[in-house]
Amino acid sequence: MKPEDVLQIIADNRGTAICIPTMTTSPAWRTIAPDDLSVGCVGFMGGASTLGLGLALGAPSRRVIVFDGDGSLCMQLGSLPTIAGVAPRNFTHLLFRNNVYHTSGAQGTPGGEGLDWVMMAKGAGYRMTFAVRTLDEFKQRLPAILNGDGPVFAELHTGLSEKTPMTDRGGRAFHEQVETLRNRLQA
Amino acid sequence: MPLPESVPAPLIIDTFKDVFRAERAGHRRQDPLGWIISVPDTHQKTVLAALDKERDIRVLTCSTEDEANGVAAGLWMTSEPVIVMIQHAGLYASINTLRGIAMDGRVPIFYMIGLLSRERDKDLHESKHSMVRYAEPLLDVFGVPHARLEVPDDVKYIPQYYRLSRERRGPTAVLVGLATS
Repeated sequence: MKPEDVLQIIADNRGTAICIPTMTTSPAWRTIAPDDLSVGCVGFMGGASTLGLGLALGAPSRRVIVFDGDGSLCMQLGSLPTIAGVAPRNFTHLLFRNNVYHTSGAQGTPGGEGLDWVMMAKGAGYRMTFAVRTLDEFKQRLPAILNGDGPVFAELHTGLSEKTPMTDRGGRAFHEQVETLRNRLQA
Repeated sequence: MPLPESVPAPLIIDTFKDVFRAERAGHRRQDPLGWIISVPDTHQKTVLAALDKERDIRVLTCSTEDEANGVAAGLWMTSEPVIVMIQHAGLYASINTLRGIAMDGRVPIFYMIGLLSRERDKDLHESKHSMVRYAEPLLDVFGVPHARLEVPDDVKYIPQYYRLSRERRGPTAVLVGLATS
């Protein structure tokens, strides 16, 4: 699966969901969905999942979808039990798995292909966990991703994205995105 | 300067409630009154234990202080009142996230930071423990306004620095001198 194709499907179906891209999903997402219900996390690697957790707890009537990376989640692995412990029903954790730190030069992630992320999320206590390997499978799982009883964890086996935050540095400053989303949620 | 004293947990929790009530005023959502995002801290354990019995305040325990920053930021973006309780070692461990979220993201995060091993008869800068000695200099390097909670009257700094974090849109901290009682 190309990550850009997955993101396009989410953008077409997300409704009012808040989306939190990080690292390699950030450049594509701001092109596909240049809106005010997203906040891209770059500069504090691994932080997207708990930023999403806070949003999910504070805005329980909205779905919150985190676009995490496997390298990023390795950096904040403790977020799995933290999220599962609170268990927000409106929280979806998408793991874009490519087994490398793409942004920094595609160095292999610890554990590489041997890691079973679904088992880790399930063991942490996520309510729904599954892996997705094709776009057709992804489309079939879309109702669970968008409306399933969270926390939902989906491990998406993807190839490398076309752009990374290093090859495409554009986009609005993080603080501007934060302010815009906060204002939007207050409206 | 008076010798530091242990500050009672009920006094701190009542102060938290006042802070949260002030921020909740006029908001649609009133439940919970506010959020405490914590990574357990030996120094503030009496406060954490007492918070377990509080129905109005919701406590969320994180695995790391990095996570606590993220959760606090997400809650603030939804206008929820939130305080982060950590220990000094956690401040050191999470300083990049404080920089990335609270400073670069201009997210107001108010921290209560326990100074485990702070000696009663020494100023922080003279402590033999590096974790105690470097806490204020580290906050100064990052330009984080901070105050000390050394005697019961110092609880006034909690609302003061909480408000300051909102006004300046960034991090502020109160350092808990002796273990709370």
